Amino acid sequence: MLRRTSLCLILLIAFVIPVFAADLRQDLAQASSLEQVITKNRLRVGFSTFVPWAMKDKTGDYTGFEIEVARRLAEDIGVEIEFVPTKWSGIIPALLTGKFDVIIGGMGITPERNLKVNFSDPYEYSGMSLVANRQLAGNLSSLEAFNNPQLTVVARIGTTAAEAAKKYLPEAQLRLFDDEGQALQEVLNERAAAMISSQPFPEFQSLKYQDKLYLPLSGETFTREPIGFAVRKGDPDFLNFLNNWIQVRSADGWLQERYRYWFTTQDWKDQVE
Amino acid sequence: MLKRQKAWGRGDTLLLILIAGFIAFLGYRIFFSLEYRWNWQIIPQYLMRHDASRGWVPNLLLEGLLTTVRLSLWSLLLALPLGIFIGLLRTGHSLLSRLLGGTYVALLRNLPPLVLILIFYYFVSDQLLPQLEIGDQVRGLPKSLQHFTAVLLAPADQLEAFIAAVVTLALFEGAYIAEIVRAGINSLDRGQWDAGLALGMRRWQQLRHIILPQAFQRMIPALAGQAISTIKDSAIVAVISIQELTFQGMELMAATYLTFEVWITVTILYFLLTYSCSWLAGKLEKRLSLKY
Repeated sequence: MLRRTSLCLILLIAFVIPVFAADLRQDLAQASSLEQVITKNRLRVGFSTFVPWAMKDKTGDYTGFEIEVARRLAEDIGVEIEFVPTKWSGIIPALLTGKFDVIIGGMGITPERNLKVNFSDPYEYSGMSLVANRQLAGNLSSLEAFNNPQLTVVARIGTTAAEAAKKYLPEAQLRLFDDEGQALQEVLNERAAAMISSQPFPEFQSLKYQDKLYLPLSGETFTREPIGFAVRKGDPDFLNFLNNWIQVRSADGWLQERYRYWFTTQDWKDQVE
Repeated sequence: MLKRQKAWGRGDTLLLILIAGFIAFLGYRIFFSLEYRWNWQIIPQYLMRHDASRGWVPNLLLEGLLTTVRLSLWSLLLALPLGIFIGLLRTGHSLLSRLLGGTYVALLRNLPPLVLILIFYYFVSDQLLPQLEIGDQVRGLPKSLQHFTAVLLAPADQLEAFIAAVVTLALFEGAYIAEIVRAGINSLDRGQWDAGLALGMRRWQQLRHIILPQAFQRMIPALAGQAISTIKDSAIVAVISIQELTFQGMELMAATYLTFEVWITVTILYFLLTYSCSWLAGKLEKRLSLKY
């Protein structure tokens, strides 16, 4: 009798568990951002203004490398795109609280960030470089030379540039600003010797202010950072879609071609000014 | 009343020259000795731009200004009744109502608005607003109605954030208005209440017929000041990415690096808006003082 009961129980469990598992799978797929994006027919993308990744053009529309990537992604899913410009310092909390579905904003993949959000495979690489004031740092031409307590270095708050400054220039005085323009102004006004930022910003600025600024590392980058899409945790479907989308769009050369346009030319300049 | 001086003295001229000299010195420092390449000619296109199909339309900065106006108007419309209600609670008879009103004011007035905005946006509004799915509801409306809500409130994609911002602004402006209302009511002589009581009026009737009409007249300057303050305070919702004037200015700066030109333009726009409001408030005050 006991044996029969336990057999029944085992059989019952054996049949019921797959049913639960199937339910769970369905729930997971239903709850995926990808499914939400398709049912609501819009992909909400969070980003922050960062030339030439994303910025406003003259007509008030958004433009830039990340904007093109986001538009293409939405087009390939077959939904409308909705841009949610967000301050960089609050962009991860905004993603986690569901203000948008994905961050496409040149976000560097770091272990700290990865503890809070999931990243796709990298779809581009960026690197840090220095732009310095001729007056204050005239003869310095290596990264180590800037690791000096006498010198002030500036960067944009919350970026990997700020991390790089702490890591590579721990001795220098670091001051952080809310956006690139303010940080650069400190260097121009001789209140800071150098600014750390992702290429191509340092290069563009040294071209613009040739008499004031120079590139200590002659345009070389001293870090190599993978850039990925950031999504909420616990969403394998969306992550899988994004990873494969990146594979497809690099295989056909589209990503590389757009990257060249935005980062090695200035043909887009007249869209903005 | 103190005698007002009418004649222009020599000391006044000297003082004026000193002040003008100081401003000129500052201007000189900013324009000539600051290492900055001025580029004013590209600013006007961010105010208005020419669209091939629609003619002249407001661009970034003017759109930002319009959003600031909408934001301030809606916050004030919510804050006024809220403030009056809390103010009445604060001056009420029941202990509970006074405690409730007092707690509200103490809580909201003693927190930095910036902190309140962030807390409300990330925690409170997140629990309430998404369930209502306001954005989707508006998207379901016919095009003409959608256009209507976009003009009155915000485009559908920004509506949720906009409402969160309006509610937060209204909540803390309401706390200040409550204090203005309480001060207005308390400024009236005890005899005014007693007179009402002697006529056999209930509390509500005393308020409606005797106290509030007089109190409101006294509150007008302070309320007008609070209204202007709301316009200025609305700038802090830039941190939750509401596309009002400050946010648009900051976006533009991030895109063009024209820090000074953009901040100066934004300053002028704010001043034009708030100064015209002060002027209107002055007119209103005069008219109401004639009435009673």
